[in-house]
Amino acid sequence: MPSKAYIASAGFTKVGDRWADSLLDLAVEAATSALRRTPKVKPQQIFVGNMFSAFGAAQEHLGALLASALGMSGIPAVKVESACASGASAFNVAYSLVRSGALDSAMVVGVEKMRDLEPEEVSQALALAESAEYTQFVGATFAALNGLVARHYMERYDVSRDELSAIPVMDHANAVTADHAQFRKAITPDVVSRSSMVADPLRLYDCAPVGDGAAALLLVNDRAAAGASPGGMAEVLGGQIATDEFSVYEREDMLDFRATREAFKKAMAQAGLSARKLGFVEVHDAFSVVGALSLESMGFSKRGEGAKDANEGKYGMESELPINTFGGLKARGHPVGATGVYQLAEAYIQLTGEAGKNQVEDADFCATQNIGGVDTTSAVHVLGRAG
Amino acid sequence: MAIQAWRVKDRYYRLIGSRCRKCGAEYFPPVYRCRKCGSADIEDRQMPKEGSILTYTRLHEPLPGFEAQAPFYLAVVRLDNGARVLTQLVDSPEESVRTGARVRATVRRARVDGETGLIVYGYKFIVV
Repeated sequence: MPSKAYIASAGFTKVGDRWADSLLDLAVEAATSALRRTPKVKPQQIFVGNMFSAFGAAQEHLGALLASALGMSGIPAVKVESACASGASAFNVAYSLVRSGALDSAMVVGVEKMRDLEPEEVSQALALAESAEYTQFVGATFAALNGLVARHYMERYDVSRDELSAIPVMDHANAVTADHAQFRKAITPDVVSRSSMVADPLRLYDCAPVGDGAAALLLVNDRAAAGASPGGMAEVLGGQIATDEFSVYEREDMLDFRATREAFKKAMAQAGLSARKLGFVEVHDAFSVVGALSLESMGFSKRGEGAKDANEGKYGMESELPINTFGGLKARGHPVGATGVYQLAEAYIQLTGEAGKNQVEDADFCATQNIGGVDTTSAVHVLGRAG
Repeated sequence: MAIQAWRVKDRYYRLIGSRCRKCGAEYFPPVYRCRKCGSADIEDRQMPKEGSILTYTRLHEPLPGFEAQAPFYLAVVRLDNGARVLTQLVDSPEESVRTGARVRATVRRARVDGETGLIVYGYKFIVV
């Protein structure tokens, strides 16, 4: 029987350099933190979101690995992968099963171990999200594809360097008071425009950093909800995944983020909400230009105006629609397979009033958007206060 | 990875892409189904060798195996049949690389594979 689905608890590690901790150490830390807050919930299945543990840690089979480490061997446990959207994709599968009634409870753990790798190995790992035969073949990194998109965006819409910097600058400002963020330091547009060139016109501070991290969520439906969460619950009102043509250069319009547009539209329809009801949005700003195009594809900004709107303060913490309330991918950090779960965990602590100095007041509803590739996969979820 | 490159050598050496027999749309990289009409009636087709730059970037930190070439230009080229190719630009002075510039395909060394040193060749483009 279909049921309502709720996030009953969240746990996550600080993002950054976790030299002493393994992939499994991080996953266990986040999972244990989430489980401790919901002692009555016994997850019936574990879903792990992860992108490149095989490449980065010579480890696959993460579902059973984590279940065993947590003393839960016996229950089903699987890994879900869709590049940088692995975290929200794992959540989406779990949510769909919990809402359908096939499961009454589930745990979602997103984890990525990136800092063990040399910089060029990180580039190789991220490039696995793109075509081996036609993108990796020409030496193009993931940053290069986004550099191509950024130039196209700036030329078509006459967007300036400082306008493009507005989202990274805002992300860093939001992360100053976020305990789990990788970079808790405010920056100016000059810091972005003077940082080293990665893939012209994208510079280092246009790009999300490399970090280790894990985040976990407990999901329950009505049958498991009673007394499940002393810390409060958030209802998952909608969740959709959409895909686009695989490589961004194959699309008729490289600046139309169709996957996000479709996933957002369908998730909002599923939730029965209009966009103006949203109190904040967690946006997948893996690159400055991707944040801008994401805001446009969800309809918050007109086409070509996402970066300009951010530069005029439309998305700041005091605005009508704050985004990236703990710093987003740029400043909280982007441990890729964990990122979508971090976004949902942050949405959960906002809606349950546990966001501390980063609390958005009077937000009843929010959305999270997690991308794999250059909007090749997009997973959008809509959450609301429970009860 | 040597076999992976050998399998698509015609794509790499001669820009063999796809043409939809039903609606005539052409693609590179090749497709299994037509994106415009959905037909699975697809044939191999040599792409035109000329087109123009839709957008470009100068990559400073490329994938391993390409370090010796860095920094280099990458571009999305719109071929004269409408297909769009991601490619390196070579032998093209900095001042010539701009959006809209005309380019022509050539074949060059793409990368050297691992310790066995297999040299993989493939398409690159030159600003004309």
